Amino acid sequence: MPLSCVSGRSLRRVSRAVDHTVPPAIAEEELFRAQVYALLARLLARAPDGAFLTALGELAGEGGEFGAALEQLAEAARGSDPAAVDEEFTTLFIGVGGSERTPYGSFYLTGFLNEKPLAELRADMARLGIARADGVSEPEDHVAALCEMMAGLIVGEFAPEDGGIVGLDGQRTFFDRHIGSWAGRFFADLETSPSARFYRAVGAVGRSFLAVEARAFDLAA
Amino acid sequence: MTRNAVTATDEAAKRNTDIQGKDTSLARRDLFRVAGLGVGALGAVAAGVTATGGAAEAAPAETASTGYRETDHVRKVYEVSRF
Repeated sequence: MPLSCVSGRSLRRVSRAVDHTVPPAIAEEELFRAQVYALLARLLARAPDGAFLTALGELAGEGGEFGAALEQLAEAARGSDPAAVDEEFTTLFIGVGGSERTPYGSFYLTGFLNEKPLAELRADMARLGIARADGVSEPEDHVAALCEMMAGLIVGEFAPEDGGIVGLDGQRTFFDRHIGSWAGRFFADLETSPSARFYRAVGAVGRSFLAVEARAFDLAA
Repeated sequence: MTRNAVTATDEAAKRNTDIQGKDTSLARRDLFRVAGLGVGALGAVAAGVTATGGAAEAAPAETASTGYRETDHVRKVYEVSRF
């Protein structure tokens, strides 16, 4: 089974004629960042099923605001049934006649979909060797796709044009240009969405995580 | 310039140890720890995959059809979302 069918990923690595890149060495805390991004991407791409909710229910925070948010997510997962979460996801993000939230960078930054921020993202994606997976038609500035991009950049999954490794500086540039300016607001909005129950906790995890990310990038400046 | 495994590894090492690199890496590690981003925190989600039927083993090492490069790092990252 293709990986994309298992994980539902929306992106793929651009094929390059010559590819000598090897996976970069990654510190475990950097790998953990990638895992958080992947988790957020998964939760924002589609509703979790019963098995996923059960696993989420076993999450244990390790202190701090982010740890508290993870605990909150675990508690929300334990108290939710898959059908209700599925319905909540639809109301929040897909809903007939306009969803409650519109999780696209372009929309948050300009008030409209498919505006200049999306064009800028596409240019950066081309440079970084990231392409939309076959059969995916959603604009690439969906918050789930952006989280997936960050996860892939951190672990060296893609194929940057210059063949180099996307280090913290490159990750920071991407984050500042496409995520930092709006995704925190989106997650905060999610936390206070009238229809959100389970996804309130997802909002808290996302908001607190991005706040730590921004501070950590400042340390690397 | 032809890149090979050695130069790429050197670059990765350099990234972590150049001038400010070591301090940066330590400072980031401390910040993540204080903020509650402990590396074990997502264990339950990753472990859930193994418990529910070994999807990780079933996935081919290289998936040409999707163009993904599946390394250990990539696999570890996507274990948390393979439901």
